[in-house]
Amino acid sequence: MAIIPATWDMYDLIQGFLQAPAYHLIFEALLMVLIAKLFFSKSYKPEKIRLSEKEKEVLVKEWKPEPLAPDVPDDHPALQAMEKYCVDGAVGKTVNINGKDCINMATLDFLGFIGNKEIEEEAIKALNKYGVGSCGPRGFYGTMDVHLDLEDRLAQFMQTEEAILYSYGFVTIASAIPAYSKRGDILFADEGIGFAAQKGCVASRSTVKWFRHNDMEHLEELLKEQEVEDKKNPKKAKVTRKFFVIEGIYANYGDICPLPAIMELKRKYKVRIFLEESMSFGVLGATGRGVTEHFGVSIDDVEMVVASLENSMASIGGFCCGTKFIIDHQRLSGMGYCFSASQPPMVAVAASKAMELMQNNPVMLVKLRENCERVHKAIKDIEGVEVRGSPLSPVIHLQLSEPAADRDLDMKTLLMVQDKAISQGVAITPARYLDNEEHLLPQPSIRLSVSSQLSEEEIDKSMDIIKAVFRSVLSGNTAGHGGGGDSAEAHS
Amino acid sequence: MNVGVAHSDSNPNHSVYNSKGIWVTYILIIFLSHLFILSVPFFSVAIAWTLTNVLHDVIMFMMLHITKGTPWETPDQGDARTETQWEQIDYGKQFTATKKFLTTVPILLFFLASFYSKYDKVHFILNASVLALSIIPKLPQLHGVRLFGINKY
Repeated sequence: MAIIPATWDMYDLIQGFLQAPAYHLIFEALLMVLIAKLFFSKSYKPEKIRLSEKEKEVLVKEWKPEPLAPDVPDDHPALQAMEKYCVDGAVGKTVNINGKDCINMATLDFLGFIGNKEIEEEAIKALNKYGVGSCGPRGFYGTMDVHLDLEDRLAQFMQTEEAILYSYGFVTIASAIPAYSKRGDILFADEGIGFAAQKGCVASRSTVKWFRHNDMEHLEELLKEQEVEDKKNPKKAKVTRKFFVIEGIYANYGDICPLPAIMELKRKYKVRIFLEESMSFGVLGATGRGVTEHFGVSIDDVEMVVASLENSMASIGGFCCGTKFIIDHQRLSGMGYCFSASQPPMVAVAASKAMELMQNNPVMLVKLRENCERVHKAIKDIEGVEVRGSPLSPVIHLQLSEPAADRDLDMKTLLMVQDKAISQGVAITPARYLDNEEHLLPQPSIRLSVSSQLSEEEIDKSMDIIKAVFRSVLSGNTAGHGGGGDSAEAHS
Repeated sequence: MNVGVAHSDSNPNHSVYNSKGIWVTYILIIFLSHLFILSVPFFSVAIAWTLTNVLHDVIMFMMLHITKGTPWETPDQGDARTETQWEQIDYGKQFTATKKFLTTVPILLFFLASFYSKYDKVHFILNASVLALSIIPKLPQLHGVRLFGINKY
């Protein structure tokens, strides 16, 4: 190899190449063939659609904008209610309807914090200091000291490591579920869970297995079925997360979840828990910590407790609390947290103040419990009406014990009850649902809400009125059916 | 990532390798790591090249063929949880420019490592076996195939 000077740096290397073993050269030749094959195979280009001017015009012409808001039927309940009733002032313990003060048993304001002067003062102070809006999402200039204070307060109160605030109660559970449960995971959900939790289940894209409302046997059946499945494919089971989705007090039924039984199943089948406490936070337990305190279950055993601040706390927003790593995950994966503007600071301050009032004055919880029991006792025996709900629950559903086949007919009866009760000074309302979107539409009912502010006399008086109204409407209703017959006769 | 560009894809893994400058960045990272390894005093040139090749192939194998789903992006709710990063590139289409590029680079690296290790037998065995890690899982015939059920779930 005289061409290459022996002193050149590359000399050795080139020598190595020229003396390369045959197997190596064959291997390299094969690789060259592979590269050639790659480059000569037909190239696929990710699609780029290019439209000509003509096509663009056609598309623009074809486009018809949808109406910004769909047409609302004239008999929409919201419109009818607006025509019929006009509420003036704050919706507190009493509510002024059409110029008449009524005892309010319709608003979910269990501790009577709506219209509380102390809270209002604090909120106004915050308004003067921070202005109204919070400027942006929490991760994007929207975090104020009051948000952090409220998170700390909630975590401390709930005795968990950390809490996270959402700016709207509905999205709290609807974001928390999809943050953890993904495609391929399994949610064991109670059929009675509220609409927000249902939407969370849908948004998670997980497999949802519904068990009958508060039916532990059915739940265990489903878990056993799942266990058999898991044994067939243990590798897959290892990466499948399983969750219970339950509520403390079910908003749609007013009963309490059997938490101890659920904890047992949780331990036995290794499932995590999403616990929705919107109705039980600030209601159950000696200090208002919710259903865990009520049953004496350690909150550390429940992975995630989610609650809205819109009921007992009479504010806006919601929170989720648990261990540090569970909560921190949501700060990047909770859609409602990441992508919506944080609570207005004054609202956070109002919630903080409400928490403070509740903590300093736990007597109001005792009072609330007494009031709930009193209402339950009083309302028990109306003929033709079934009372749903636990005696400790401030949400009570009054259903017709003989529902008609037609849902609308029952609703009409209940609306008559509502109208009569309001005219006699007690504001009540039927429970409203999005009929076509609920997983399992509950039977029509009047949803009573009990406040700790009500005195015994007020409760007795309003219970008497409600009972009397139900009696007169139900006895009149049979007559009403007859009346229908009458009008038919009149037509003939 | 498509920095400064709004994309409406809930899974950016589909298009991340088509972003501007990402091929150059990839080559630069290999080159700089190689320089770094070369600068270690007791490594000969041959060892440095083999080490570059081995590290590159093993790391890329972990990045492209072991990691599944969308570890840093959650909005797809686990849609791609059964697919490796390689299978997600360009929506799983074969013979795209990105895929050709990503297949060619380890082969060229192997040529270089062979050349600088003077076609030594030990180096050849090492380099060729890690090259297999980089080439075999990329073959179109093995799209979505999990040999012996490894890494299936």
